[in-house]
Amino acid sequence: MIVVLCSASDAPALWAWGGLKQLGVRPLELVLAESLAQSSLWEHRVGRDGAHLKIVLPDRRVLCSTRIRGVLNRLVVPSQSVVNLASASDREYAQSELQAFYLSWLHGLPGTVLNRPTALGLCGSWLHRSEWMVRARDAGLRIPTYRQTSQDRPEDSFRSPVPEGALRQTLIAFDGAIFGGEQDTPLARACTRLAEKVRAEILGIDLYANAGGEWVFAGASACPDLSLGGQPLLERIAYQLEGANA
Amino acid sequence: MILVCGIPSETPLRLVTAQLEALGAPYVLFNQREFAHSDLWFEVDQDAVRGELRLGDVTYRLEDFTAVYPRLMDDRALPELVELAPDSPLRVHCRSLHDALTRWMEIAPGLVINRCAPMATNSSKPYQAQLIREHGFLTPETLITNDPALVRNFRVRHGRVIYKSISAVRSIVQELSDDDEDRLERIRWCPTQFQAYVEGTNVRVHTIGDEVFATAIHSAATDYRYATRQAGKAADLREVELSDELAAQCVALARSLGLEFAGIDLKITEDDEVFCFEVNPCPAFSYYEGNTGQPISNAVARRLAMGARLN
Repeated sequence: MIVVLCSASDAPALWAWGGLKQLGVRPLELVLAESLAQSSLWEHRVGRDGAHLKIVLPDRRVLCSTRIRGVLNRLVVPSQSVVNLASASDREYAQSELQAFYLSWLHGLPGTVLNRPTALGLCGSWLHRSEWMVRARDAGLRIPTYRQTSQDRPEDSFRSPVPEGALRQTLIAFDGAIFGGEQDTPLARACTRLAEKVRAEILGIDLYANAGGEWVFAGASACPDLSLGGQPLLERIAYQLEGANA
Repeated sequence: MILVCGIPSETPLRLVTAQLEALGAPYVLFNQREFAHSDLWFEVDQDAVRGELRLGDVTYRLEDFTAVYPRLMDDRALPELVELAPDSPLRVHCRSLHDALTRWMEIAPGLVINRCAPMATNSSKPYQAQLIREHGFLTPETLITNDPALVRNFRVRHGRVIYKSISAVRSIVQELSDDDEDRLERIRWCPTQFQAYVEGTNVRVHTIGDEVFATAIHSAATDYRYATRQAGKAADLREVELSDELAAQCVALARSLGLEFAGIDLKITEDDEVFCFEVNPCPAFSYYEGNTGQPISNAVARRLAMGARLN
């Protein structure tokens, strides 16, 4: 079984699910975060025999790790519906418990998982902008100067570094290749290196053109808009997931 | 120069700074409670990470810190903020200062014991258990479920069963009792973690770089940290020596998680099977040092004085 895990509002993931279906990937299951939250059974075991998972969804479909061969994982956070049932004093605890639980069962999934979770994110690492800048620089990308002071509010760091009116592009690094842009350029190779350095199977890299026409790193996401990679990306994802299914 | 961050009277921090002084290693202490008189800025560009930290009247270049030992308490809970409104300028400054400091520590080129990112594996016990298993340790049989029947079967199969949080929040280990079984229906709201109880001797292993300090803990309590409450008697702690192989395995585990300093919780059975329960990335080692005299703070201080990152 190949599974697409995402929230109901994740349009790029739904696009990928439709595309994978058209490509003949079977059996293919779409599992929404909102539906996971209402599951009637959760059974996750960790021990001498490794990790095991069984989930009975509200529509009675069963997700069992013995049958899962590949996953397109786009879960960013567990659905808040369960957390909202907790009393105010327990809400933060419930949130921590669910996040920790999801991290464990996602990590234990067999086969190809795109992306595997990390301790810093359920579908790949979510890094602070300052850390992305260092990683991107080390991968060989040009970066803008990032500055943070104790006079700034923490949320200021989310401001885009892209100058108004600048030309932008997003490249998708996956499986050692670049989608949505030119292959085999120094820029493409640097983007691929960045994905490798942060151990992201799929990574979206946002770039903008500076005044000199040079592409500059603006940010990266482990949960990019897959449609930017078009049909070639979809076919490569299908190949990887199907490969795991063989 | 070494940067030490936290509350100066906190025991682990106090022990490490005392050792730094004894070693004659130059250090600067950022006292969180003096945040109102502190500022920090840093920047990342194509060449380097640079910045400044102002503590009172003195300003330090961040590039001059070769090592950092952060033992930061939650800045939102500092006593100086208790009476302040959520949007008070002092509270906002405190949060911004700590955010900037933490962000810089994640990318600082020197040694940081420990950075936040590798510490994050401890935020999910069963996730960390899977990483631990990959390093050849046994981990207790674990069930996380919202189904009371599965828990009852698990208890029948394993006899003694404990339950504890999945995350690092409210992490107190309790044994599942007959009375608890009566309220198992409550887990239907949220999957809960149960583990087979492992009989044996608790051993806390502190690794700092390549150095290893092992302490055996004898207690009748399910969670020896709460021995007085759970068993009516404080735990008995003794220094023990690990085999070279097990010591090396502990060092390799800590290093694979990116931790310069770790507190590894083992249980060694009568059959010499070694179970690993978790790796604590911010160990409050003073409890063990105070009971056994093991020179853990000295090892931390020497590692800080040595600077340069291992990985």
